[in-house]
Amino acid sequence: MENFRNLTQAYSQAPWRKQLKFIGLFLLLVVFVALIAGIYLDVTARAATIGREILIMKNEIDVLELVVSDLETQLAYMTSSNEMEKRALSLGFQPVEIDQAMYIVVDGYPADGYVNLAPPPETVKTVAASLPPDYTESLFDWLGQNILPPIDEVLGVIP
Amino acid sequence: MRKDSTWRFTMLGTIFSLLAVLIVVQLVRIQLNPEQVSHFLGQSDLYAGEWRTIKPTRGLIYDRQGHLLAGNTTVYEVGVELARVQNPHTIALTLNVVLGLDYSKVYDAVTTEASSEVATVVLDDFVPQEYIDRLEQFKQDINQTYTGGRGKEPPSLSGLVYQPHLQRSYPEKDMGSNVLGFVSREGVGYFGVEAKYQDLLEGAAQTVWIPLDPNRAEDLPEISDGASIVLTLDRAIQAEMEDVIDRAVAFNGADSGTIVVIEPKTGDILAMATTPRLNLNEYWRYSEVFQGSTPFNRIVSQAYEPGSVYKVLTMATALDSGAVTPETTFIDTGVFEIGGAYIYNWNSGAWGPQDMQGCMQHSLNVCLAWIASEVGPKDFYDYMRAFGIGHLTGVDLAGEVPGRLKVPGDSDWYDADLGTNAFGQGVSATPLQMAMAISAIANDGKMMAPRIVRSMVDDGQQFNTEPRVVGRPISNKTANILSEMLAVSLEEEASDALIEGYRFAGKTGTAEIPTPYGYSISATNASFVGWGPVDDPRFLAYIWLEKPTSSPWGSVVAAPVFRQVVERLVVLMDIPPDRVRQALITQ
Repeated sequence: MENFRNLTQAYSQAPWRKQLKFIGLFLLLVVFVALIAGIYLDVTARAATIGREILIMKNEIDVLELVVSDLETQLAYMTSSNEMEKRALSLGFQPVEIDQAMYIVVDGYPADGYVNLAPPPETVKTVAASLPPDYTESLFDWLGQNILPPIDEVLGVIP
Repeated sequence: MRKDSTWRFTMLGTIFSLLAVLIVVQLVRIQLNPEQVSHFLGQSDLYAGEWRTIKPTRGLIYDRQGHLLAGNTTVYEVGVELARVQNPHTIALTLNVVLGLDYSKVYDAVTTEASSEVATVVLDDFVPQEYIDRLEQFKQDINQTYTGGRGKEPPSLSGLVYQPHLQRSYPEKDMGSNVLGFVSREGVGYFGVEAKYQDLLEGAAQTVWIPLDPNRAEDLPEISDGASIVLTLDRAIQAEMEDVIDRAVAFNGADSGTIVVIEPKTGDILAMATTPRLNLNEYWRYSEVFQGSTPFNRIVSQAYEPGSVYKVLTMATALDSGAVTPETTFIDTGVFEIGGAYIYNWNSGAWGPQDMQGCMQHSLNVCLAWIASEVGPKDFYDYMRAFGIGHLTGVDLAGEVPGRLKVPGDSDWYDADLGTNAFGQGVSATPLQMAMAISAIANDGKMMAPRIVRSMVDDGQQFNTEPRVVGRPISNKTANILSEMLAVSLEEEASDALIEGYRFAGKTGTAEIPTPYGYSISATNASFVGWGPVDDPRFLAYIWLEKPTSSPWGSVVAAPVFRQVVERLVVLMDIPPDRVRQALITQ
C-alpha cells in the first residue's frame, strides 16, 4: 500500500514519466511488429526467389526435352538404314552372301531379341512421401490453421 | 511547442487516426463479408496464373531392336511482338527472302496496331531449324551493322520471335511407310500404326492451370508424354524386302508388288513390303503417290483372288476332314463339272492318275475342285472360316478389309463356287489373311493372331504383348503331312524357289483377274507362299506381284522372288543350312 502511494505520488509529481512509459510500450510494440514483418518478408522473399527459380528450371526442362527429342531424331537419321549402308559400302564392306556365312556355336551369345526400353510394370508402386506442410505454408496459413478460427466459424456460415 | 499550434497537430493527428480507423474498418468489413471475400479472391486469381491447353509430346515408334522409325523434331512458329517492332519493312523483306513469305501480307500483319487483345501475330509455322539459324544470323548482322542508329529508321528485326515445338519426323523416310502411316501438322494420325494408335501415341491433351505466382510453383502440373510403341518389324529385314520387291516389280513389269514375312510360331510380322511407298516426311504428296483407289497398304487393305496358293487351304481341309489321304488317287481327265460349270486345268490338259502329292505339285484345278466336292460345301466353308478367310485378322493397322468368302445361303453363292473356290478363284483375301491362314500349316496346325505391336512404353514402364493363338483349324498331323507334301512338290518340280542346303515348303499361285465383263485373260496375279526350314519353320513369306508383264505364271515370276527373299532372310535371321543346323543341334 505504501509502495502504491509512492508510485502514485511519483507520477503526480512528474507526469512525463507516464508518457514515457506509454511511448516505451508503443516503441516496443513497433519493434516487435517490425521484427515479425521483417522475418515474414525475408521468408516470403526467399520463397518467391526459389519459386521463381523453379519456374525458370521448369522452362529449361521443357526446352531440354525439345532438344533431347530433336537430337534423338537426328541420331536416328544419321544411323538410318540407308545411311548405314552407304557408310558400310564406303568403308569397303560388302553384303554377306548366303554361301559366305559360316555358323559356329558361341556359348552365351544372345540371339537378336526385342529391345527393352523400360522396366516392366511393377506390381506394387512405391509412392514418394509428400513434402510436409511446414515447408510450404506461409505464416498466415499457419496462423489461420492453428491460432485463428476459420472465417466460416466466425460468421456461423453453414455450407 | 507553442500553444496556438497544438490544435493543428491535434487536428492532423485526428484526421490521420480517422483515416487509419476507416482503413481498418474497411479491411475488417471485407474480410467478414463472404461475398466480398470471394469477389476479391476471384480478382486475384485472374492475375495469379492462366489456363493453358498442353499437348503432350507424341510417343515414338521403334522397330523390334530399338531403331527409331518415327520420332519428333523441333520446328518453330515465327511471329512478331507488335509492341517491339521497330522497322516493319526489314521484317517483311527478311521473311520474304528467307522463308518465301509474301512481302505485303507480312508487312500488313506487322504494322497491325498493338492492343490489349492483339499483342503478337503469327506469320509462319513448322519452320525448320536451318531457317531459324539464317534469321538469327540476319538479326546479328543487322545489329552489328546498325547499332547506334544510322538514319531515321535503321533496319531492325526487333520484335521477330520464334516459338519452338515438335513435329513428327521419320528418319527412315519411305521405309516401312505403309506400316507406319503418317501424322498431319494438326497431330492427327493417318493410316497404319499412327492411325490405329492415335490416342495412345498422342497422349491426353489437358487444359491446366499454370500459376504465374512463384509461391505456387509447386502447383505446376506434370503432363505425361504419349506412349511409345515397339513394333515387331525388323528394320533390316524390312529394308531388304523392300529392295527385293522393288527389283521384282521393275524386272517383271508388274503394276505392284507385295511381300509379307511373318514368324509362324508367334504371328509376329517381321516385314511388310509393298508398293508404292511414300516418304512420310513429305506426306502432302500422298495423292500424287497413291493415285486413284490405290490403297496405302495393299497387304491389309487390298483383297484379291489369290489363285492356286489357296489350294494349300483346300488340301489342308481335305486331309484334315478325312475326305482324302495323301495316297488317294484321282484320275484327271482334264475337266470336272460342278454345279453346271466346267473346271479345266491351267494348261487345259488331262494329267491322268494322280495322287494328292501330284495334284499339288502340278497345281491341278480339276483335282482340287473334285477334292472340294468330296469335302462338301458345309465342311469346306467351315474350314475356310476357321482359317479366317472372309474375316478381319485383327492386325493393329488401320484400314484392314475382310475380303469376301461367299458361303451357301448367300444370294450370290452357287454350287459352282465350291469348285472355283477350291483353287482360289471367286474368293478374295488380303495377302495378310492368306499368310496367317497358311501359317497354321507351318505351325503344327495352330493359327496365331498377327502381331505388329510388340510393346508399349508408358510412364517409364514397358508393357509387352504376348503371342496369341486364334484357332487350330487343322491337326498337327495334317499340318506336318501337308508341309512335307509341299516341300517334296518344290523339290520334284525343280522350282526356281529352291535354295541349296535348305528345305522349304511352298506353293505357287496364278490367278486370273476378275473384271466387270468376266475374267481377264491378259493379266494375272502371280503369288507364292513358302516357309521353312520345314522341320523348324522360322519364317513364312507371302509374295504377290500384280499383273506382271514378263510372264503370267506365278512359278516363273513369284517363285524366283521367294528364292531372293530366302537368300537374304537366312543371313539376316542367322539360319544355317539344314545340314549345319542339325549338326549344331546334335553337338
